[in-house]
Amino acid sequence: MESNLPAFKESNPQLEVITELSRGQHPCLKAFYKNKNERVVCVKNLASEDVLLHATRLRNALGRKVKKLPTRHVTRHPSVQGTWTTGVRF
Amino acid sequence: MAQRRFSSNSRDDSENEEDDGEEGEEEEEDYDSDNNEAEVDDVTVSDMKREYSAEEKEEEAAAIGYKVIEPLLPSDRFFKNREPVFAVVQVGSHQFKVSNGDCIYVERLKFCEVNDKLILNKVLMLGTSTQTIIGRPILPDAAVHAVVEEHALDAKVIIFKKKRRKNYRRTKGHRQELTRLRIADIQGIEKPEPKVDPKQKRAAVKQQEKVAVAA
Repeated sequence: MESNLPAFKESNPQLEVITELSRGQHPCLKAFYKNKNERVVCVKNLASEDVLLHATRLRNALGRKVKKLPTRHVTRHPSVQGTWTTGVRF
Repeated sequence: MAQRRFSSNSRDDSENEEDDGEEGEEEEEDYDSDNNEAEVDDVTVSDMKREYSAEEKEEEAAAIGYKVIEPLLPSDRFFKNREPVFAVVQVGSHQFKVSNGDCIYVERLKFCEVNDKLILNKVLMLGTSTQTIIGRPILPDAAVHAVVEEHALDAKVIIFKKKRRKNYRRTKGHRQELTRLRIADIQGIEKPEPKVDPKQKRAAVKQQEKVAVAA
């Protein structure tokens, strides 16, 4: 990770990357999002590329809560042409 | 063990990645002990991490139905207020009915980063409140602009297989990779003027009346 971290830091100037040493614990990545969510990924015994992959995943996420999506299409304006009723004449 | 071998191979494949000093030594030993296997693995790894040229990327993207333009700059005024226009657009094998400001989750799109602008060019239908244009099957001169917001994993799906009376059970988890797109603009149809909300109108009228009473 020592090799990949500086490059990751440089390529993402919008992120604040801090390293901490916590003795007696497994290595982990913690991500704090702007919407006050926090996500933690354990990276115990992973190769450096895999750690980088996990870090990139955290970068790419918005910090939503992981839920089953009810629909893959989210809109605030459901209809443009209006709902059809029996009164509509063309 | 398997992990180690994998990492050592990828190091051999792509020499541009820097090595960790400590790990390198350990990996060397493993590599000597099972050289043949490693060679077999080499092929699979190179298949998985296939390098695409720019044209190939574009081709594959076009097959799915999108085209990457450029990253979105904070200075860009890319998003507009809502317009009463919709488009039916195909991305991969899914079709979405979108208007601007919507967000859609599509299967993960390769070759695009977060904050990239995209053009979705498989537009099947365009419509406003008075007019509809239907493609046969696609409209060549229409385009939907979108921005990549997120690459994330979907919620976990558990695949459970069971054969009765055979003592057979298999559980497997799967998390689909998704990309979230925000629709910015729809082009290819003339847009009607946005109507003023009747509620707002009424409120304005009421205010005027109040003013009149006060006077």
